[in-house]
Amino acid sequence: METLDQLFVLLKEGILQIAEAFLPSGLLPFVSILVSITAIAIFAPAVMMYLTWLERKVIGRMQNRYGPNRVGKFGLLQPIADGIKMLTKEDIVPAKADRFGHFLAPVAVVVPSLLLFSVLPFGRNMIAADLEIGLLFFLAISSVGTLAIFIGGWGSRNKFSLLGAMRALAQMVSYEVPLVLSIVTVVMMVGSLSTMDIVEAQSGWNGFRWFIFTPWGFFGFLIFFIGSVAEVNRTPFDIPEGESEIVAGFHTEYSGMKFALFYMAEFLGAFAFAALGATLFFGGWQGPFLPSWLWFGLKTFVLVFVIIWLRGTFPRLRVDQLMGYAWKFLLPMALVNILAAGVWYYLSQPLASFASAALLVASYLLLSRLSPTGTRLEKRTYRYAE
Amino acid sequence: MGLFFVVLSLMTLLGALGAMLLKNLVHCAIGLVLFFIGIAGFYLLLQAEFIAAVQILIYVGAVATLILFAVMLTENVIGETTLKGLGRNRWAALILSLVVGGVLIKAIGHQTFSAAQVAERVSTREIGRSLLTTYVLPFEVISILLVAAMIGAIVIAMERNKRMGE
Repeated sequence: METLDQLFVLLKEGILQIAEAFLPSGLLPFVSILVSITAIAIFAPAVMMYLTWLERKVIGRMQNRYGPNRVGKFGLLQPIADGIKMLTKEDIVPAKADRFGHFLAPVAVVVPSLLLFSVLPFGRNMIAADLEIGLLFFLAISSVGTLAIFIGGWGSRNKFSLLGAMRALAQMVSYEVPLVLSIVTVVMMVGSLSTMDIVEAQSGWNGFRWFIFTPWGFFGFLIFFIGSVAEVNRTPFDIPEGESEIVAGFHTEYSGMKFALFYMAEFLGAFAFAALGATLFFGGWQGPFLPSWLWFGLKTFVLVFVIIWLRGTFPRLRVDQLMGYAWKFLLPMALVNILAAGVWYYLSQPLASFASAALLVASYLLLSRLSPTGTRLEKRTYRYAE
Repeated sequence: MGLFFVVLSLMTLLGALGAMLLKNLVHCAIGLVLFFIGIAGFYLLLQAEFIAAVQILIYVGAVATLILFAVMLTENVIGETTLKGLGRNRWAALILSLVVGGVLIKAIGHQTFSAAQVAERVSTREIGRSLLTTYVLPFEVISILLVAAMIGAIVIAMERNKRMGE
């Protein structure tokens, strides 16, 4: 059991022992870093490839069709076929495009989404870099990708690309605020920004003492989840690439592998945010019986499934609804949630849970009644053409 | 460590030069982002991880984004060159940069940097604690200033909306 739990850690130690025999000891830290980086560099694209497969299968089932089923058993080789297609496609750059920006964007968008994986605790002792400021690092790096999207949209010299880029910028600036504020509650409780410490703080109750079971954790997770779906541009928040309005948004003018890189960044971002959600609110790798990395993987995939499920269920939001929802509903809720977390922390137990839950439910009801246009849906009137 | 320092310095200088010399405002902004990331790298070299992350979060994530928003409001944004030289602001720009440069040189000249003196590593916890104890007054004053600026911006936006509505 212990060996199975530490399988990957032992594997890395084995590699380091072999390296020790051949290399001078001064190089060992670099070998250790290299092993971790290689693991992430292989794991992340592999996950991305099979997430595309999973998404197409799940959405297919939801829409009452089969999804990919021609290449390999259950279409399992479809991502590889897609990869070959993407790599061999012609790379089209518009004649008037800004060549520097057009080239830079797909590269610059993938790098941050790969960096996100370095602070995720994949299991007990399984983390590439246990930074003291891990959570802050994650948030800082995840905001860099937006700039790349903007530069790509601007560099394409296309009206739709530019519109999509502007939408992406506005959306991400708005949704980052409630996202970060919802995480603040977890940092308050744990008293540390290290992702390892956050998981450790949720140990107990046979590995089920997750933050999601507290009132502030429940609301905090909902705000965090909505914010992160918006942050990675997934439906129903995918207005930067809304194909019914602006062709394909910021990646209208991209083809072949450059397009695939944008796609990859989106999926890696979705996976990384699901993994962070599992870490912050679902106890990370904590859980009974199964090895820690399996628990982490299971929780992350459940959240990824919910993200795909959302795409199969909800229509796209309108731009003004999107902004109104972030600023007039999510942001006040996130602020109240911080207060509720404080109440929960300082009162004694049965009273604390009740008081903070009451505070949150009351403010939810109040905010959803009070809020002016934007979050509340008005009765629609239709005018049909004669 | 020396190699990292050289690479970071080159990147930072290149970014700064690009931000000043390029003819296209968006390219200038990209240069500026490169410069910000380089500065964050310097903070990391100095083991100030918290400041490094905050540098990326605020300067790359927010300030650069807002600069790009502002650039979008300038004339012929989708042209090869968006700047037509400094024009009649040339002399004002010269005087301003001389003054700022002079002040900076004077300020840096006052400091003595000795290699023997190694700064202590300050943890995030200590930064948080000192912000809420020793430096609580400046911290609160800055918060009030920011709230005032935000309210001001909202009021200006509201008045324009009202005028447009009429």
